[in-house]
Amino acid sequence: MQASRTQLGRQLLAGSMGRVSREPYRCFSCSVRQAQQQAPPPKAPQDAQGTTHFGFQTVAEALKEQRVGAVFSSVASSYDSMNDFMSLGIHRLWKDHFVRNLNPGRNPLTSPSSGDKGWNILDIAGGTGDIAFRMLDHASTINHDAHTKVTVADINPDMLTEGKKRALQTPYARTPRLKFVEANAEKLDMIPDNSIDLYTVAFGIRNFTHKETALKEAFRVLKPGGVFACLEFSKVNNPLFDAVYQRWSFGAIPLIGQLVAGDRDSYQYLVESIARFPSQTEFRDMIQDAGFLVPGKGWEDLTNGIAAIHKGVKPA
Amino acid sequence: MAPVRLSNSLLGTFRAASIRPANAWRQKCLYHSYDYTESPPFPPAESAILSSAYNHVPSHGFTIDALKLGTRDAGYLDVSTNLFPRGAFDLVSYHLVTQRLALKDNVQFPGDGEQGKRMGVGAKALAIMAQPTYIPASLVELAKLADEIWFLAGDQSVDSSWYTKRASLSTIYSATEVFMTQDKSANFTETEQFLDSRLEDLMKIGRFMGALGEWGNYTGHSTINVLRSKGMRI
Ligand SMILES: C[S@@+](CC[C@H](N)C(=O)[O-])C[C@H]1O[C@@H](n2cnc3c(N)ncnc32)[C@H](O)[C@@H]1O
Repeated sequence: MQASRTQLGRQLLAGSMGRVSREPYRCFSCSVRQAQQQAPPPKAPQDAQGTTHFGFQTVAEALKEQRVGAVFSSVASSYDSMNDFMSLGIHRLWKDHFVRNLNPGRNPLTSPSSGDKGWNILDIAGGTGDIAFRMLDHASTINHDAHTKVTVADINPDMLTEGKKRALQTPYARTPRLKFVEANAEKLDMIPDNSIDLYTVAFGIRNFTHKETALKEAFRVLKPGGVFACLEFSKVNNPLFDAVYQRWSFGAIPLIGQLVAGDRDSYQYLVESIARFPSQTEFRDMIQDAGFLVPGKGWEDLTNGIAAIHKGVKPA
Repeated sequence: MAPVRLSNSLLGTFRAASIRPANAWRQKCLYHSYDYTESPPFPPAESAILSSAYNHVPSHGFTIDALKLGTRDAGYLDVSTNLFPRGAFDLVSYHLVTQRLALKDNVQFPGDGEQGKRMGVGAKALAIMAQPTYIPASLVELAKLADEIWFLAGDQSVDSSWYTKRASLSTIYSATEVFMTQDKSANFTETEQFLDSRLEDLMKIGRFMGALGEWGNYTGHSTINVLRSKGMRI
């Protein structure tokens, strides 16, 4: 295992010395999938009406939701290992940082008593509950706040089931502080206007069919002064590192996905959806276009930009 | 250039701080008073929150708590402090900028005591400023402040002493601020004396270069003290 990993590393490096282009990634599995599902042929860069991206393919919008669903249903149980591969093993640290930095919870010792107790947090695409549990832990142990609550929303019932299962290992299962709902981020009808203090989405937004619509929904449900916070894979800013990382993610991850989960297609999709996601500045502009104020330059790069945290504040 | 005048303008900044924090750039703000305009360093929402938070500094210090109270006063939520990526340092930075911008309005009329409210937070703010990430930004702000003080004191030198004077003034500024936090005398007369003698030293011996190191020393010590007060064993 050790030996083969070294070898893999060498190959990756060797590859990055050569030409880096998208061409080699039009891999066998993609063409098979394309043939099977008869997606309309790619029309990049301009999308034809009613089509969207599924990884590097262009598919009918109605199909995307369904196919994203299939991807996450099939990776739900091996989900953690996937995140480990994509983030070179550091997504846990990013999530810790993400939560610590948001500092959820209202500290009764330093906050003057006023009407509202605790924060109302909505964790979108929260699937496995990873972010939600961290939020509640932070609120309870750091801010001595036993009222802050989190609603975990995900479009995929399999991911929610996984989350509920994991919740049983925490003190929050079956308490009013933790709730799971099945919902599409683009249509949060069950959440009233101006009701949320903090909206989080970690490694989810790149899967949404209409990111702008989701941002508008976020704006609607947030209270004035409420915060939108997004942790997502992003664009690596060091060119050499980028080349290496691209080789890693495109070359190795689908392969590993096949070996570990027996599911190359789903992992291929995940890699491609990351490459498709807008750059840090583009996404910052999208957040501003939805009406948010952004702190400072609007985002924080993590590990050279492999991931980034974007934030927006709804004006009061 | 009279030390008296310099001393007045320097002491003016300590008092200015507590007089009209936000007015300074709500009016037309001028750098060097008449040279050119400077755009406000914080966007409107941030300014509104920081100026409310500033009112809580005397009782809460330069802390995230002061910032939270400020967000609430300005009609925002606790969570809105996420608007400030640098947290409490943005409050410190606001403090420095405000003092510099308020300086020209106050230098001719150094507060007569009735408004000279003590900030009592210097050490904490300096400790924040001395955190490695913030040192560059702190130095820039301190340098600008020192620049304005020298300018108002009538110094227009263009030789190499331009730099050293500013470095030494920043040092004295920091030192005085630390001193002021301990000063219990009426009307801060001891601070004034301390300041005068520091300025005299500066004029007499002109040990300009060593002064920068001293600033590091002061802030370094106050950092350690703050950390100790939080129970860290150093
Ligand atoms: C990579 S997982 C992230 C899970 C978790 N937030 C984490 O950080 O570990 C992406 C999640 O987004 C969900 N998802 C995809 N499209 C969605 C949509 N339109 N609305 C809500 N959730 C969606 C998927 O079901 C999946 O659970």
